[in-house]
Amino acid sequence: MNKLYLWGIIIIAVMLGATYLSVGGSKGGLNGDIVNMLAVAGAVSLVIITVFVVVKYVRQMQVDSASGELLKDNWDGIGEYKNEVPTGWAVMFLLTMVWGMWYFVIGYPVNAYSQIGEYNEDVAVHNSKFETKYKDITGEKLVEMGESVFLAECKVCHGISADGIDGAAANLNKRIDEKSVKHVIEKGSNNKLLGMEMPMPDRNGLLNANTGALITDAEIETVSKFVANKMSGAGADIFAGTCAACHGEDGKGLDSVAPSIATYTPTLVSNVLTHGKKGVIGVMPKFDRLNDKQKEAVGAYITSLNK
Amino acid sequence: MFHWLEKHPFFFAVGVFVVIAFAGLVEILPNFAQASRPVIGTAPYSTLELAGRHVYIKNSCNACHSQLVRPFKSETDRYGHYSLSGEYAYDRPFLWGSKRTGPDLWRVGNYRTTDWHENHMKNPASVVPGSVMPAYKWMFSNKADINTAFAEQLTVAQYFSVPYNQSVPMKDGTTKVVKMGGSVAEANAIALEEAKIIAADMKDQDVKDTVARGEIPEIVALIAYLNSLK
Repeated sequence: MNKLYLWGIIIIAVMLGATYLSVGGSKGGLNGDIVNMLAVAGAVSLVIITVFVVVKYVRQMQVDSASGELLKDNWDGIGEYKNEVPTGWAVMFLLTMVWGMWYFVIGYPVNAYSQIGEYNEDVAVHNSKFETKYKDITGEKLVEMGESVFLAECKVCHGISADGIDGAAANLNKRIDEKSVKHVIEKGSNNKLLGMEMPMPDRNGLLNANTGALITDAEIETVSKFVANKMSGAGADIFAGTCAACHGEDGKGLDSVAPSIATYTPTLVSNVLTHGKKGVIGVMPKFDRLNDKQKEAVGAYITSLNK
Repeated sequence: MFHWLEKHPFFFAVGVFVVIAFAGLVEILPNFAQASRPVIGTAPYSTLELAGRHVYIKNSCNACHSQLVRPFKSETDRYGHYSLSGEYAYDRPFLWGSKRTGPDLWRVGNYRTTDWHENHMKNPASVVPGSVMPAYKWMFSNKADINTAFAEQLTVAQYFSVPYNQSVPMKDGTTKVVKMGGSVAEANAIALEEAKIIAADMKDQDVKDTVARGEIPEIVALIAYLNSLK
């Protein structure tokens, strides 16, 4: 028997013994774990295959001799034979070239991964899910959705309890405060609260039908308190004479004429979210990022705060 | 040729580099050049906005706030459209940032307003309960450096062809001309005009008085800059 084969067997035996010691000899063991078993099986086959391959080529070096015509080039005395290109290799080479051309012209350009494409797919999937899930949502559920949107988007200015954080933003627990009513009467307003351009005139365009004259400072004072006080107290006559023509007897607004100043409605809130708003406190930016359902939900939530 | 190359390892290495780099050159460079052009709606910074940008950098706002909206639904829901590289064409240097102790600010102009910034910079916790951001009260008294902003405008207009005093297309189909003064005095006058518009929406009487006197507090410049981020 060749000495080489003997060495091969000895090395295999030693390596497998070492494997056994390190696995079975330690406290770990296989523990019946499939991953451990696979790892050991891999180690065993690696040892055997490695030794077989090494033995094969060392043997080949010992017994093989080469012959054939040498190329005219040599590199520091090391030459090369003029051998034919192996057929399998040549076929693979050609196939790779064909594949390369396909990939360059069609494969990559047509099927390229795109980060934005993935994003668009994500958004489309999410939106369609949102639509089917919340299509018929109403009542309590809608208010809940509105609250969560409110806490994500609106609380930064309006505060967690929607009180406007000491005047930093509008207090949404009531429809309108005195300061705002006064400001709107004096300066007019054009906030697209009905979803379209429908400006309210300033004080120079507000006639008190009771007196037949323009509204006065004292009247503004009184009617502002009246409106801010949920349409009650002194000033009902001024309201009836000046404001009711557009805002309605009860202050709930008239379709396509003027918005409700007595209560919030989901449509009103939606319109504010769509167009933004400018008033005595400052500017509220528009929230285009919300979809219609979310706007409706916020409207329902704000309306529910004022029940 | 190849025999010669094989005998000269240095030139061989150069040859290998050229061959490999060529693919990168033809694939990456044209795309890159195209993507870095300003997109429609991107206008150069005005004098006051640029001064505000300097305030932003001076106070290391970029250490806690990024300016890059990534293309994920969770981000675009919160901040708006994901950022495009062309939108940064006039940012020198860009302030992308990689750390978000606070929120991203790249489109903050879309959803925060002058008066909100004013309240927030005076006392962040008053409008954002639990905020860890410090107050920046000195911005209400420090004066913005308009001269440096003007110097930067002049430089970028001359060396990078930033289109000041030229019309740039906006998203709604209109065009916009961002003015740059011809002299230091003119630049200061332009900045003051912009500052007056911002100050009109602010509550702080000191700030209003300062602007009325013809000086510009840092906070006004900073708000102008933040409002321009859209």
